[in-house]
Amino acid sequence: MLEAVVVIIAPIIGGLIYGFERVVCARMQNRQGPPLLQPFYDMGKLIDKQALIINPYHSILGIMHFVTLWVVVAFIILGQNLLYVIFLHLLSSIFLILAGFSVKSIFSHIGANRELMSVIAYEPILIMLAVGFYLINGSFDISVIRDNPPQILQLFFLFLAFLMVIQIKLKKSPFDATEAHQEIVGGVEIEFSGVFFEFLYMAKWLEYVFVYLLLSLFAGDNLALGFGLFIGVFFLVNLVDNATARIKINHLIKIVLMIGLTFGMLNLVGLSYV
Amino acid sequence: MFNLKKYRKRSPWILHYNAGSCNGCDIEILASLSPKYDLERFGIINTGNPKQSDIFLVTGPVTYRSRERLIELYIQMPEPKVVVAVGSCSCTGGVFRGMYNVEDGVDRYIPVDVYISGCATSPELIIDGLVKGLEILEKKTKSMEKPSKLFKDTTSREGIVSRRESALRVGEERDEEN
Repeated sequence: MLEAVVVIIAPIIGGLIYGFERVVCARMQNRQGPPLLQPFYDMGKLIDKQALIINPYHSILGIMHFVTLWVVVAFIILGQNLLYVIFLHLLSSIFLILAGFSVKSIFSHIGANRELMSVIAYEPILIMLAVGFYLINGSFDISVIRDNPPQILQLFFLFLAFLMVIQIKLKKSPFDATEAHQEIVGGVEIEFSGVFFEFLYMAKWLEYVFVYLLLSLFAGDNLALGFGLFIGVFFLVNLVDNATARIKINHLIKIVLMIGLTFGMLNLVGLSYV
Repeated sequence: MFNLKKYRKRSPWILHYNAGSCNGCDIEILASLSPKYDLERFGIINTGNPKQSDIFLVTGPVTYRSRERLIELYIQMPEPKVVVAVGSCSCTGGVFRGMYNVEDGVDRYIPVDVYISGCATSPELIIDGLVKGLEILEKKTKSMEKPSKLFKDTTSREGIVSRRESALRVGEERDEEN
């Protein structure tokens, strides 16, 4: 029952995290920053705004992206199979990429291309993460992973690789070439407006919930450690975001695949032989 | 029911367009977004995307080359929207007034809601003007606004074509609709 409630309010939790993050970012730059509920004000405004529809598929694919992501978050909260979660998440990214390619805007195409390339970069790491959890727990079920003791020490190198995935998924510097706000004007989200942009905006919040829920799996049954990991990684991600500049998409793939794959393989080989 | 109009002035997103400005006012706009003046405390984000923005900040005296882009960007912005002319050039043409290659202000083409004077204008004035624009944004309806050069009669005074009266009239009609 509690889980069902958490699933329903998952976008609101994500919105609160996003609002808090904007405040934290502002304080790091010595600014006052927007109010905590700013994402919800944005949402209220976007509902009221006129929606320009480019073509029906474009808008529907944007909504599908949001719905699939919500299903992914629900799967994690309900303790389903980790592999299903990762592949369903891939499906939600594919919907967004298809939406990007369904309009004529060149920036949308560039954004979709970059989104696709970033999927190539982070997807192997997520799959290796699932394999790592399987080697320790003997099961892909998230409920089993949650019942076992913390696994962050056995999976430490995969944890480091996962930190890079967080930067990519949350569109943070240095790995924010997929969105690149002043350069390609948001990439895939450029042609969305009004209510339809709203769904993309909420999908962004769900992305926060998804990433931090995956992070909390490292803590196993230790709730305090999970919360500590969330707080620590949250501040680390924002610090890196404020301290670094954006890198090109080909460098993103090179860096993430070289470091991430090496760390992941190292961790998996270590787990199977030690 | 929920009154969604009150959220408009809490999250206005900016589109900034340089219609042939000398870059002075653009620097001041960026300065007002910087940590010292911090426009983000009003929920303002500088999006480069016309389809998601509410406030159209125009700088510069509108050169011939930038006219079509100006109108194109204006049409692409969904309603409700507010146009803010930043700097003397975009209000009246400024020092470029009467030159062969400029259009003497933004209001020849699109209805302007707020004029911010100064050459270059200061960040304090920009913040004042934006907050004034938010009051207007709250009163607006979603009905389509038309580029005035194409659809409205011109008013000519002493041989100078002015859009200012017709621009004001658009706002008044809006109030009656509400």
